[in-house]
Amino acid sequence: MVENIAYACLTKWCEKGKADKSVIRWINSDLTETDFSYLHFEAESNQIANTLQKMGIHNGDVVSVFLPRSPILISSLFGILKLEAMSCVLFSTLGEEALLDRLGNSETKIVITKNSLVRKIMAIKDSLPNLERILVVDTEEHKNDLVLSLAKLMEEAEGIFAYSHQTDSETPAFLQYTSGSTGKPKGALHVHGAILDIIQSFKEILQVEEGDIYWCTADPAWITGLSYGVFAPMATVTTQIQYSGAYNADNWLQILKDKEVTVWYTAPTALRMLMQEENEKFAIIQSNCLKRIYSVGEPLNPEIYFWGKKTFGQEIYDNWFQSETGSIMISNRPGLEVKPGSMGKPRSGIKPTIISDDQRPVAAGEHGNLAVQRGWNSMFRSYYKREDAYAEKFWGELYITGDLAYQDEDGYFWYVSRSDDVINTAGHLVGPFEVESALLEIEEIGDAAVIGVDDELLHKKIIAFVVTRNNLAWDKHLELKSRIYISNKVSTVATPAEFIPIEKIPKNQSGKILRRVLRALYEGKDPGDLSTME
Amino acid sequence: MDITEELTAVFREVFDDGTIVLSDELTANDVDSWDSLSHVNLIIAIEMAFDIEFKQSEILNFANVGELKKSIINKLEKK
Repeated sequence: MVENIAYACLTKWCEKGKADKSVIRWINSDLTETDFSYLHFEAESNQIANTLQKMGIHNGDVVSVFLPRSPILISSLFGILKLEAMSCVLFSTLGEEALLDRLGNSETKIVITKNSLVRKIMAIKDSLPNLERILVVDTEEHKNDLVLSLAKLMEEAEGIFAYSHQTDSETPAFLQYTSGSTGKPKGALHVHGAILDIIQSFKEILQVEEGDIYWCTADPAWITGLSYGVFAPMATVTTQIQYSGAYNADNWLQILKDKEVTVWYTAPTALRMLMQEENEKFAIIQSNCLKRIYSVGEPLNPEIYFWGKKTFGQEIYDNWFQSETGSIMISNRPGLEVKPGSMGKPRSGIKPTIISDDQRPVAAGEHGNLAVQRGWNSMFRSYYKREDAYAEKFWGELYITGDLAYQDEDGYFWYVSRSDDVINTAGHLVGPFEVESALLEIEEIGDAAVIGVDDELLHKKIIAFVVTRNNLAWDKHLELKSRIYISNKVSTVATPAEFIPIEKIPKNQSGKILRRVLRALYEGKDPGDLSTME
Repeated sequence: MDITEELTAVFREVFDDGTIVLSDELTANDVDSWDSLSHVNLIIAIEMAFDIEFKQSEILNFANVGELKKSIINKLEKK
């Protein structure tokens, strides 16, 4: 048995006399702020749990939260967990098709969202036979039997909710969607027992102490934002900052300075965006309270590492984990000498290894598949309704991460690249299939293929090769139409940075896209062996 | 069609949201899906709709729709 995540993060601290402690200092986009206590989230999540229960939601059902980061997102999450239902937090920037893939696969019964996002769900609701209700957080009145005001329902609900504080460690808790190189996105299923690893890793790696002000910049729809932006800090009574605005260098620097942030967890793309700002902007943080910085999502290349260390005057600790791993697996951290560009070393109890394609351990320095010995608490337990895809991720007792890496003679791990076609752009994994499928829905496009290529800002940028129907000329109007379509149907992060018209997409005799040929074409290199080409 | 109307049409197309109503105070935080990536789409669409060009340095410096409109008007006057 293990503590229900909602108990570990919330109810327990109310019981222990911390109910009124300000656990989140919420900074709005205009830099106004509001403090939220444990009691606030406890009461709201109780109301939401009561509301959902009245609607028939029980353990095993999926309730999706389709909201930008906000206090009500956090209350919703804990309300769902108290019921032992499964929560699925989705990026509010997802387009209709990406939303359909996730709500459809998860067989979501209820979506909690905001008024301006309802139209996206309504556009696909006929393809969602399991969807029973849409609960809207920012409307006062019910619209109809399907679209209801959550605010109104919460007013009518009790602020007390009795639930079992202990649960089986294998009780499903949340789904985290991630893209693969083929097929639709898959929902990594995590259990309540994951909280043990999330807390342990937070203590071992982040090392936040009493008096620290912690800021994790990740959206809760991202595993970092969920594990280390919500669960870990709340379960350890950490005072944290949440900022609901979009990236804005001035605001970010102002927050670091004025809110006296001591431990900052961010991403390489964010640091690269800051690096592009004018030097004068950083005068504000010449004196600051930072003790250290953490980075995750993509490799932190040495150039950014040295720039960040000089600019902020503190060490930057890069680390590595995935939606599937649930918590940090490999990390730099205080007490361990940092090798710039390295992922660091495994945390306690985690056993990563590098193995060849024929499943044999490789020597130090040799590239291979990064794999992790199964068995840690926050390991995903399945891809929801995709057991076949889950099974493919394991070679015996080893979870195959899909990343290529090597381990040096000192035991440090170094990221090399993805082993598949998934594109890591700005820390988001984008499956080429999702983008290609959407491109083919544009009437002027007859065929399409996408690849990821190196980019100084995004780590990888998406390049789309397109074949127009009937030899239609590719022009800027068609490019804009395609950009807007992908942005709204899939997501903004999936929008190709460049479109390249081409006569024919290179494929092998079984119809598989030869991405290495496209990559060579883009980079002006020799495409190599073309004997298998159609 | 005046600039606000034309700009509204551009916003609605780019963000696929027919309910967007522009005000000078509107910012990226007020429109779902308006992030640094879709901002590129918005700028391209505005350049094409008004037949103007923004400099790289201008693109990320609009604090709100009011500033964006002012910049468009300045560029149209100089044409």
